[in-house]
Amino acid sequence: MPGELPPAGATWPERRRRALADPAMRAAVAKSTRSLAVKKEAVFATYPAAEAMRKRAVIARRGSLARVDALLDELTRRVEARGGHVVRAAGPADVGRYVLDVARRRGVQRVVKSKSMATEEIALNEQLENAGLHVRETDLGEYIIQLAGERPAHILVPASHKTRQQVRALFDEEAAACAVDPPVGDATPELTAFARRQLRADFLAADMGISGGNFLVAETGTLVLITNEGNGRMTTSLPRVHIAVVGIDKIVATWADLADLLQQPALSGTGQRLSTYTTFITGPRREGELDGPEEFHLVLLDNGRHELLGTEFVDILACIRCGACLNVCPVFRTIGGQAYGTMYSGPIGVVLTPLLGGLERAPELPKSACALCYACADACPMEIDLPRHILALRRTEVERGMEPWSDRLTFELWGRFWANPAGFRFTGRIARLGQRVYVRDGRLKGAPGLVGGWTATRNAPPLARESFHEWWARRRASRTGS
Amino acid sequence: MVRAQLFVTCMVDLFRPRAGVAAVQVLERRGVEVEFPGGQSCCGQFAYNAGHHREAAAMGRQLVRAFEPSDAASPSADPPTVIALSGSCAAMIKHEMPDLLERDALQRGRTPATAARWRRRAEALADRVVELSEWLDRQAVPGPEGVGTRAESGGPASSGGPGYAGASGSSTPLKVASHTGCHMRRLLGATEAPLSVLRRAGVEPVELDDAEQCCGFGGSFGLLEPDISAAMADAKLANLATARGDGVTCLVSADLGCLMQLGGRLDRQGDAFPMLHLAEAVDLADRHRLTPADIERTARSQEADPDAR
Ligand code: SF4
Repeated sequence: MPGELPPAGATWPERRRRALADPAMRAAVAKSTRSLAVKKEAVFATYPAAEAMRKRAVIARRGSLARVDALLDELTRRVEARGGHVVRAAGPADVGRYVLDVARRRGVQRVVKSKSMATEEIALNEQLENAGLHVRETDLGEYIIQLAGERPAHILVPASHKTRQQVRALFDEEAAACAVDPPVGDATPELTAFARRQLRADFLAADMGISGGNFLVAETGTLVLITNEGNGRMTTSLPRVHIAVVGIDKIVATWADLADLLQQPALSGTGQRLSTYTTFITGPRREGELDGPEEFHLVLLDNGRHELLGTEFVDILACIRCGACLNVCPVFRTIGGQAYGTMYSGPIGVVLTPLLGGLERAPELPKSACALCYACADACPMEIDLPRHILALRRTEVERGMEPWSDRLTFELWGRFWANPAGFRFTGRIARLGQRVYVRDGRLKGAPGLVGGWTATRNAPPLARESFHEWWARRRASRTGS
Repeated sequence: MVRAQLFVTCMVDLFRPRAGVAAVQVLERRGVEVEFPGGQSCCGQFAYNAGHHREAAAMGRQLVRAFEPSDAASPSADPPTVIALSGSCAAMIKHEMPDLLERDALQRGRTPATAARWRRRAEALADRVVELSEWLDRQAVPGPEGVGTRAESGGPASSGGPGYAGASGSSTPLKVASHTGCHMRRLLGATEAPLSVLRRAGVEPVELDDAEQCCGFGGSFGLLEPDISAAMADAKLANLATARGDGVTCLVSADLGCLMQLGGRLDRQGDAFPMLHLAEAVDLADRHRLTPADIERTARSQEADPDAR
C-alpha cells in the first residue's frame, strides 16, 4: 500500500516565489546550514573512531532492512512481554483512530508531544485537535513552529529559518493570549526561559505524551529517543499514557548495532559526539517503580515504507533523519524548507516525499529542487544514493508522461538529431540562423521553449560563427591543401 | 608521438570553440598528436539528467561509435586516450554511460548479449576518457618551485614541448579565481588537478569561499528553475566579488557550463569580468601571455582563433 502525506498547501510556483522573496529567511537558513555542515566536518576530523563506527552503522542498518518483518515480530514480543501494547498502522487514519481510542478510554484532554517526523507525516496534531484535544509541541523549535502555524522547515532544526526577533514576536503574542509575562528580551536565554516556563505548565497538566523514536531495538524491545532538550524524557514519563509513533524503518536488530548507530544522528546532524539526552524506554511503569506512564503504546507506522523493501529505493529506509543532506544542499540553502511543501525537505525530502506519498503528490521536487551536484551523496552518513534516486524519479516522470508535451517533443527531436553527426551539424547551422531574432548587443537575450528558461535570468553568448567542428575541418583542409 | 583524441563537448563546439582550439595547441605543444573524431556531438548528460534516458542513450551510442578505433587502425596498438574538455561530461561517460547503454538496449528489446556488448563498448570508452586538467596534471612533475617543469621521461610531453612556462618573469604571480564543477569535484574526485595545473602555469589559483557549493547550472534544472538557479549563481558571484576585491584577474574553470552560468548571470547584471576555460588559461601561459590584457581579450573573443582578427 502506498502511503499518504498531507497536501502541500500552496502550489510550487507560489511556494518558490514566497521563499525567494524572503531574504531574512534565506539568510537565516544559509547561516544555520553552513554552520551545521562545518561542525559535522569538524567532528569527523577530530574524532578518529567516528568513521569506523559510521561504516559499521551502515552495515547494521542495511542488515536490519533485509529482515524488517522478522525483527518487528521479535520487537513486538519483547514489548508486549513487558506490558506494552504494539499495533501496526498502515497510514494516517489508522494512527489517528488508535490514539483517539486510547484518549477516549483514558479520559485524555491534554497532550504533550516531543519532536517526531512520523507524526508530522500523518498530521497527527490536526487529527487530535479536530477531535477536541489540546496538543502542545514541547521541542523548542517545534513549539515555535506550532505557534507560527507552520510546518517544520528542517527535519532536525525545525525553526532554523526564524530569526530571534521573529521568535520573540511569536512569544509576545502567546504571552498576551495566555495573560502571562512576555519574554524580557530577544536573547536566546531570555527566549528559552519563556518557553520553559510555558512548557513546564503543559507537561504537568498533560494526560498523554506522544513521542516518535529514533531507533527500535528488536533484541531488547527498546524504544530509543535522542533529544537535545530533555523534553523527550518529560513527554514519555510525566503523563499517565505514553504513545510512541515510529516508522517501521527504525528497527535495528541488536544492542550492538545500536551502539554503532547511537551517535550517528548527532555526529552528522549537529557535529556533537552524542546528543544531550539519550532515553531508552522498555515499557510502562512496573510495580515498585516510582515514575513512568501507566500505559505504553507503540504504534508502528508503515505509510508506504513496506512497499519500498526490495526495490531500488530500499536504502532510503536507512535514513536516520540527521539532516546532513539538507545542510549541504545548495537548493535547500537557497529556498529553505517551507518551499518543499512537505515535512521532509532537502534531498531526503525530494526522494522520500514522492516515494511515500506518490509521485503525483510532489512531481516538482525531483526535477525542480535538485541541481544534481551530488553534495548530499557525499554528506549522507548512511551512504544513501540520493542523486541516483532523484535521477530514477525523473526518469519515471518522463516514462509516465508527466511533463508538458512541448518539453517531451523538444527532447525527442533533440535526441534524434544529435544522435548522428550530420544532424548535429545541421542543428548547429539552423540555430545559428534562428538565433538572430534573439541576439542583441552580441548576446543571446531571449530564446524559445526550454532555452527560454535560461535567458529568463541569464545572458548567453550567441552560437559561435564557426564551430569547433568547422574550424577543425578548415584547418585540416588548409594543411592537406598546402 | 603520442596520439590522443579530443572530446570538445557540444557546448565548447557551439559556444566556445576557442577553448577547443586552445586545447589543441596546448596538447600539440606537449608533443601530442591530436585527433578529432568528427562523429562526436554530445555525451547525452543533459537529456539523461532530465529523465530522458532513451534520447541520452542514443547520443551515448553515437559518442561510443565516434571514438571507437576504426578497424584500419593497427589492432595491436592501445587505443588513444580521450581528453575531455569538461569534468561533467567526463563523469557522465565514466559513471553513467555503461549502465545507461546496457539498460536502454534491454528496454529496446535487444538481447542480453547485445546489451552486454553495449556496456562493454561504453566501458572501453570510459576507461580511456580523462578530463583535460587531470591529464595535464599527470604529465608534469612539479619542479622545485612548482613552476616550469616538463613531463616525466617517457611521458607524452617528453619530446620537447614548452611545458609550463609561467605567466611572465614577474615576482608576484597573477591571482586567478578557480571554480571546480560539482561533477569534477565529487564524481571524478579531481579537486587538486586544476589547482596544480594553474600553479604550474605560473599563477596563483584562489578557491572561492564555499567553493564546494554548486553554481546553479544544473542542466535541465537551470532551465526549469531560472530564478532558483540565478539565486545560486548570485551566492557564488558574491564570493567571487570578495575574491575580486582581493585582486583575482579572472575566473577559470574546467567546465564551460559553470562559466556560462556565472558569466551569463554577471552579464545580465551589467557587470563584466573575464572568465576562461582552463584550456585557454594554460594556452595563454604557454605563450607567456597570461596577462590581464590578454586574459581580457581572450575572454571577450568567441572566435576560434582570437589572434586572427
Ligand atoms: S538521507 Fe542521509 S544525510 Fe539525509 S537525513 Fe537521511 S541519513 Fe541524514
